[in-house]
Amino acid sequence: MIQLIHVSKWYDRRPALSDVMLEIEKGEFVLLMGPSGSGKSTILRMLIGEEQPDEGQLFVQGKNVTKLKRSEIPYLRRKVGSVFQDFRLLPKKSVFDNVALPLIVQGVSEKDIRRKVTEALRAVGVEHKRDQSPSSLSTGEQQRVCIARAIVNGPVVLLADEPTGNLDPELTGEIIELFKLINARGTTVVVATHNHHVMQQVNRRVITLMEGVVLPERAVPERVGV
Amino acid sequence: MRRLFYLVREAWANMRTNRMTTIVAILTTAFTLTCVGVFLLLYMNLQHAAGWLQEDVKVMVYLEDRLSRDGRLQMELMLKSDHMVASVLYISKEQALTEFRTQFPTDSQLLEGLGENPLPASFVVTLAPNFRSPEAMKEWVEQVQTMEGVAKVDYNQQWISLLSELIGYIELAAISVGILLSAAAVTIIGNTIRLALFARREEIEILRLIGATGTFIRIPYFLEGAVLGACGSALSLGILKVGFEVFRQQVQFISRFSGMEGLISFFPFSACLALVLAGMVLGFTGSVVSLLRVGEARA
Repeated sequence: MIQLIHVSKWYDRRPALSDVMLEIEKGEFVLLMGPSGSGKSTILRMLIGEEQPDEGQLFVQGKNVTKLKRSEIPYLRRKVGSVFQDFRLLPKKSVFDNVALPLIVQGVSEKDIRRKVTEALRAVGVEHKRDQSPSSLSTGEQQRVCIARAIVNGPVVLLADEPTGNLDPELTGEIIELFKLINARGTTVVVATHNHHVMQQVNRRVITLMEGVVLPERAVPERVGV
Repeated sequence: MRRLFYLVREAWANMRTNRMTTIVAILTTAFTLTCVGVFLLLYMNLQHAAGWLQEDVKVMVYLEDRLSRDGRLQMELMLKSDHMVASVLYISKEQALTEFRTQFPTDSQLLEGLGENPLPASFVVTLAPNFRSPEAMKEWVEQVQTMEGVAKVDYNQQWISLLSELIGYIELAAISVGILLSAAAVTIIGNTIRLALFARREEIEILRLIGATGTFIRIPYFLEGAVLGACGSALSLGILKVGFEVFRQQVQFISRFSGMEGLISFFPFSACLALVLAGMVLGFTGSVVSLLRVGEARA
């Protein structure tokens, strides 16, 4: 599903990623662990065409992201759902309208929008908040809305960058369970985090990054992130 | 349908969010387009006047007193059979004197002192529409002047040519002012759109990340630019209409120009529509200038 082949990236001559080789299978739930600045977010940004590697190739569902034309990138992003630490919800729109946005940009019919948004909101447990403004919701609920928006158009991959960064341990557990549920439905889930508790809760494959280098999976230190 | 509704609603939301900037943009666009409109209106009316005068231009062929009746009749026949001539009217010496007395009653005593009627007989010639250009007219006049029995040929083409020259200058001024002020309107609307983009940069970022194409992101701003341009243009037409009516009333009240108010006219409906459309195009251009790089730089 996802392949990174000898991917390197520099920012101002400082390496952000060095010769990264990575493969994530379809339907996997993977944690990208590592401290801040280790290159986790860079990988996620590359997977949605937000950044390009300086060297190497990057494939999502068989498509070489590094070779995509600018005009093709929006279509890649429609297959890859993104969840952000700061939620990035539009405060002037209702919960329903926020979740409907990816469907509107794709020109989905009114009837299907209503059905899909309702399903997504139900899946994350905030269906009863559909007419409220995001600012009236708790942080946990806002993150659920953000997840609903990411899954509403049935993406093949769900990317989450520090999705629990703003949440307390209890809410973190709830969000992780939500990701597990989404993964159980067949969506490949990649969560970038530096939170060691998340790793313990997920108990799935962990890819550890340290200063832009992927550590051998057997050599993962006990506590990397915190 | 929802997509279209969304795009229109976003354009409307942009204008509402930046209400003050929107109003300023409409007003300044209206002002600049009014300036262009004044020139266009002047140009259009002078063009009408020139056309009207050109239609009415008459050539006076004054005859020598010694020309016999037969010679005069022969000349009249020649003129009437000329394909460049539309009509010929003979004015005898007596008719000329009567007309002079009617038109200038106070000066008619001057002629009485002379004893004999000094006014010559003449032909008033109207040329066919195809031969009313200054060049054709000049050529015809030069030809007639050489005819036996013709004392002098007079026509009021000179000042019509001057008017045409003046219209040429106004046309040039209208084009220059039009280009300059249109560029100003494009810049003003472009800046308004840039402000709207800045105010909604986070939203644009989110739209990009969820897979919106550059076109989808740009459409509300294109709409906004076109609407601002159209509103500015419509407002400028309103200002011009009010100004025009005030001017027409003033003309009516000044006795010297009385009757001229019927000769001046405002833009016809089709021209008004064209001006609103031109405003829309200017606004749209302003948006395009501002949005050239949005959605592509980091697509």
